Amino acid sequence: MRPPLEFLFPPEIGAQLIYSFVIIVCSLMVYYATKEMYELSSYKGIKYFRQAFLFFAIAYFFRYFIEFFLFLFNIKNILDFSPMYIGWISLYIFLYASAMAVFYLLYSVMWKKWNHSKSRIFIFNICAIIIALFGATFRDMLISLMLNIILLIFVSFILYIAYKDSIDRKKGKNLFIIYILLFVFWVLNVIDILLPRFLQLYQLIIYIVSTLLFMIILYKVLKKIGS
Amino acid sequence: MVKRAKLEIMRDILKIIQDNRNSIKPTPLLRKSKMSSVGFKEYYNELLEKKFIREIIDEKQDKYIILTEKGFKFLERYMAIVDFIDEFEL
Repeated sequence: MRPPLEFLFPPEIGAQLIYSFVIIVCSLMVYYATKEMYELSSYKGIKYFRQAFLFFAIAYFFRYFIEFFLFLFNIKNILDFSPMYIGWISLYIFLYASAMAVFYLLYSVMWKKWNHSKSRIFIFNICAIIIALFGATFRDMLISLMLNIILLIFVSFILYIAYKDSIDRKKGKNLFIIYILLFVFWVLNVIDILLPRFLQLYQLIIYIVSTLLFMIILYKVLKKIGS
Repeated sequence: MVKRAKLEIMRDILKIIQDNRNSIKPTPLLRKSKMSSVGFKEYYNELLEKKFIREIIDEKQDKYIILTEKGFKFLERYMAIVDFIDEFEL
């Protein structure tokens, strides 16, 4: 007899899958919708903006989908993987890719002021590796949380400076509010993964608001692409 | 701002070619672009590299510059690109 559907896919896994799927689709749509613009202009700001969304897509793929595929195709039994390693790899890639996404989004706004240099991308990689190591390898929740909160404060401060310098303040305000909310919900997502019980009650709200933020950005992108 | 200006200059050069019935000799193009010859050469080479323009030589061995399909596409999408850069403060 086949097991009931709820047993195969408990509701919380279903919600996580839908949430990840929507964010992956939104991120990839932003990435591919801006491809032509980047190819025509070779503009660095567009390049970093696109890379941010590519990293978001990678992060959310490794957050839930990889576990879902392993579970669905029963790969653990076929390849004799230890679930611990799979969990470690997917958590490491999620933390690394999501931190890189945040850095690239920040850099897309700041690259002109920071005098574009390759060393900055290298520093971002090092920071993302440290964040991923503390979260996935050492499993030190306190340090990991501290790192993410310090990063959020740093990102908010930089965005505030960018907003103050922005030419069109009204337009800039909306964008920076969206970016700051995106970063806040990114930290909440990380907390939700590292300490699943801590935000259990608010999980659905985090999913809905994060999804809405990605959809707003996608809408703004598509509106401009079509113009 | 510097990079944005670069896009504007590229657009201006391509627009001169387009307005000249998509065929212009290098010297009038330099003159109409109102740039120094060093600066012009830099942009000209970049436009060639990016395949926005193409050089053709006619039967009298005169060199003409024409826009490629990519060049026309750039002109068509220029305002959308600039709007996008402004919208996301890139």
